[in-house]
Amino acid sequence: MNTSLLRMLMCCLLLLPLFSAGQDSASIYTAQLLQPTADSVRTQAIGRLAILRIPATFPLLMAINDKKLYLLDEKAVTIDSNPSSEGTYRLYSLYPNNTLLTNSSGQPLLLPLSALKTVDIPRADRLQLAGIAPLFNLFNSDPQKRSLAYSQLKHTSDSATLSILKAALAKESNADALRTGKDALYAIQLYKASTTVSAKANIDSIADNWSDNAPVLLRDYARSGFLNQETAQYAAAKAAGLEKRYDNLQRVQHFFSGLSLGSILVLIALGLAIVYGLAGIINMAHGEFMMIGAYTTYCTQIVFTKALGIPQTDLFFFFALPCSFLVAGALGWVLERLVIRHLYAKPLESLLATWGVSLILIQTARLLFGDLTAVKTPQLLAGGWQVSPHLTLPYNRLFIIALSMLVVLFTYLMLYRTRLGLQIRSVTQNRQMSACLGIETRRVASITFFIGSGLAGLAGCAITLIGNVVPDMGQTYIVDSFLVVVTGGVGKLAGTILSGLGIGFFTKISESFFQAVYGKVFILVFIMLFMQYKPKGLFPDKGRIAED
Amino acid sequence: MKTKNNTLLYILFITFFAILLPAGYLTGFLSVNTISVWGRYFCFAIAALGIDLIWGYTGILSMCQAFFFCLGSYGIAMHLLLKKTVASGATLPDFMAWNKIETLPFFWQPFHSFGWSVALCLLIPAAFAFIIGLVLFRSRIKGVYMAIITQALTLAMWLIFLRNETNLGGTNGLTDFNSILGYPLSSSSVKLALYLVSLAVLCTAYFCCYRITHSKFGKVLQAIRDSESRVSYTAYKVVDYKLAVFVVAALLAAVGGMLYLPQTGIITPGRMDVKASVEMVMWVALGGRGNLKGAVIGALLVNFLYSICTSLFPDSWLFILGFLFVITVLYFDKGFMGLGDTIRQKFSAARLKTSQTH
Repeated sequence: MNTSLLRMLMCCLLLLPLFSAGQDSASIYTAQLLQPTADSVRTQAIGRLAILRIPATFPLLMAINDKKLYLLDEKAVTIDSNPSSEGTYRLYSLYPNNTLLTNSSGQPLLLPLSALKTVDIPRADRLQLAGIAPLFNLFNSDPQKRSLAYSQLKHTSDSATLSILKAALAKESNADALRTGKDALYAIQLYKASTTVSAKANIDSIADNWSDNAPVLLRDYARSGFLNQETAQYAAAKAAGLEKRYDNLQRVQHFFSGLSLGSILVLIALGLAIVYGLAGIINMAHGEFMMIGAYTTYCTQIVFTKALGIPQTDLFFFFALPCSFLVAGALGWVLERLVIRHLYAKPLESLLATWGVSLILIQTARLLFGDLTAVKTPQLLAGGWQVSPHLTLPYNRLFIIALSMLVVLFTYLMLYRTRLGLQIRSVTQNRQMSACLGIETRRVASITFFIGSGLAGLAGCAITLIGNVVPDMGQTYIVDSFLVVVTGGVGKLAGTILSGLGIGFFTKISESFFQAVYGKVFILVFIMLFMQYKPKGLFPDKGRIAED
Repeated sequence: MKTKNNTLLYILFITFFAILLPAGYLTGFLSVNTISVWGRYFCFAIAALGIDLIWGYTGILSMCQAFFFCLGSYGIAMHLLLKKTVASGATLPDFMAWNKIETLPFFWQPFHSFGWSVALCLLIPAAFAFIIGLVLFRSRIKGVYMAIITQALTLAMWLIFLRNETNLGGTNGLTDFNSILGYPLSSSSVKLALYLVSLAVLCTAYFCCYRITHSKFGKVLQAIRDSESRVSYTAYKVVDYKLAVFVVAALLAAVGGMLYLPQTGIITPGRMDVKASVEMVMWVALGGRGNLKGAVIGALLVNFLYSICTSLFPDSWLFILGFLFVITVLYFDKGFMGLGDTIRQKFSAARLKTSQTH
C-alpha cells in the first residue's frame, strides 16, 4: 500500500513541470543556485531542479554537469566546446533563454576564459543530477552525448520523458544520434503497445530504422514474450533478417579491407619485385625506404605548419607525395652506388648487407625523430563514404586503392611503353646479352633502384594515412611484401599485382574466420603448399630465360 | 702447416676457456656472471655451427634456426617451470592461473620428467625441421625463396608464441625458475657447471661437425652448394642430403637453446623474431662461412661486442652492427677467419699489379 502511494506521489512530482507553477519555482531555485546564501541552499536548489525536470532549466543543469558554468555580469553563461584560434569562446546564456550572446554590432560575443567568473559546484551537488543527466543531455551540443542519452532512455516509460524525447528528436540534426533516438522512441512505444498491430508497426519501425542495437532489442523483446507469441515470433524473424543483412554488409566490408590491404602490399611489393627481377637483389631495406617516405611526409607537414605557418591545410599531403618519392628514391640511388652495386646477382649476400643498412636507417630515424610520430590525416580524406548506415568505406583507404591503381598503371606504362622500360626488361632477362647490345646495364640498374625505392617511399606516404609513423614500421610489411614477390614470380608485374591482392584478400578473409594471427599462419601454410605446385611463383619464366 | 695452425688454435681455445676462465673465477678475478655470460655465448656458438653446416657448407640460407633454438629453450623452460610449480605445491604455473586455465594443457604433461623433456626438445625441432624441409626441398625451393619462406615461417611462429592462448606464456615468455635436477640455479657452482657443460657440448658439436664436413657426406653437401644441378645429374638424391643437414642443423640449434635457458633464466618469443633470426645468420657471416671455426668465433665475437657496446654506448650498437654487416658482406666475403687470406690476396694482387707496371 505504502509503495503505491509513493509511486503516486512520484508521478505527481514528474508531472509538475506540466504546470506553470513549476516555472516560477524554477526561477527561484535558479537564483538560489547562482547566489546561494549557504552551501546547503545551493544543494537543495539543485536537488529540486533535478526533481522538477523543467526543460527550460536543462541548459543550466547541463552546464553544471559539464562543469562549464560561468558568470558574466552576474548572469549565468556557458561556453562553446571549442575555442577559437585566439583562445576565446562563444558564449550562451542559460536561463530563462538559451541563446548565443552577441555584442552591440550583432556579431557573436567572443571572450577569453579570464573574463568570466567560474562557478564551482561541488561534486556531491553535481551527483544529484546523475538521474536526469540523460534527459538534459538530449539537448547537448555533442552528438555522441546525445546518442548516449537516447540509449539510456530506452527503458523508461513515463510519458513526460517520452514527450521530452520527442521534442529532442524533432530538433535532432545528427544522423547517428537520430537513429539511436528513434530506436529509443520505438522501443518505448513497443513495450507500451497493447495491440498486436501497433506492436508489429513498432517492430517494423525498429527494423527499418536499423540501428546497431536493433537486433539485440528485437531479440530481447522476442525472448520476453511481452505481448503475445505472435509478436515475439515476428520480432525474432525481423531480428534474424537484420542480422543476415548485417552479415552480408560485413562481407562487403571484409572484401573492401582485403582490397585495401592488398593494394598496400602491391604498392610496397611493386618496387621490390622490379628491383629483385632486374638485379637479383633482395632488398631487406625496402621497408625502410617506406619508412623514409613516411618521415618525409611527416617533415613536410612540419614544414607546412611550423615554417610556412599554414596550419589548416591539406596541401602538405599532396606535396608530400612527390617529395617522398624523390627523397626515398634519391636515398635508394645513393645506397645503390655505395653498397648494392657490388652485390649484383648475389641475392643472399645482398640480403644480409641490406639488412645491415636497414638497421642503420632504423636507428638513424629513431635518433632523429624519437619513437612515435603521427601525420595528421588531411581533412579531405577524413571520414568515409557512407554507402549504407552500416557500411562506411573510409576515404583514406579508397585513396590508397586509387593511388596504387595509378602507380600500377604508371609502372606498366613505364615498363612496356618507354625505352627505359624496354631496357629494364631486357636487363632483367639477360644482363650480359643486354650489355653486349649496348645497354648501359649499370645506369639502368641505378635508375631502376631509384624508381623502386621511390615507389616504396610513395607507399610509406600513403601508409601515414592509416597508421602511426614509427622507425621500424618497414619491418611489419617487409616479410609480407617478400611473400608477395615470391608468390607472384620474380620481376613480374602481373604476378605481383595478382599475388598482392590475393594475399590481401586471403589475409582479411581468413582473419574473419580465425583470429588475425592464425589467419597469418594459415596464409603462410597456404603459400607453402602453393609453392609445391608453382615453385617459381604464379608466372614463372619459361624456356631459355629460366635459370637452371 | 694448416693442421699445425689448427692444433695451436684448438689448444689456445681450450686453455683459455676451460682453464683460464674457470681459474680466473676460482681465484676471484672474474665474477660468476662473466662465466655465465660466456656460457650463454657457447650456446649461441652451438647454434651457429648448425647455421654454418646448412648455409656455409650446403648453401641453404635458413632463417628459422632461431625458431629451433627457441623450441629447445621452451622445452627445458616448461620442465623447469613444472618442477618449480610442483615443488611449491601448486598444480599450474602462475601465468596459467592468471589466464584462468584450470587444467594443465596436454602438451605440458610430458615435461614433468626431465628425460622426456630432453627427448622432446630434440624430437620436436627435428620433426618440425623434417616436415618443413620435406615440403620446401621437395618442391625445389632454394636460394632466396628458401630464405624468405623460412623467414616468414619464423615470423608466423613468433606470432603464435606471442599469443596467450597457446599457453606458452605469451609476450612475457617463461621465466622464474629456481632449480635444475634439484640443484639451485642461483648457486655459483651450478653456474660454473653449466658453463663447463656448454663448453663441453660446444667442443663435441664442433668435433661432430668437423667429422661431418670432412666425411663423404660433407663433400656432397659442398658439391650441392657449388652446383646443385650437377650433383643431381650424378644421381645423388639432393633432397635427402639437404633434409639430413637441415635436421642436423635444427638439432644443433635446439641443443644450444636447451643449454641457453638455465643460464639466462628466461625465454621470450623475442629470441625468435625476424631480427634475432637474421642476427644468427650474421654471426656466421661475420665469423666466416664455410668455416666451422669461423662460425664459433663469429658467434662469440658478435655477442661479446654486443655486451660491450650496449653498456658503453647503447645508442650506437645498431649502427655498429649494421656497418659490420655491410662491411663484411662487401669486403670480407670469408668473414673474420678469412681476413688474413683476403688481405694477403689483395696485397699480392697489388704487388702483382705494381710488378707488372714496372
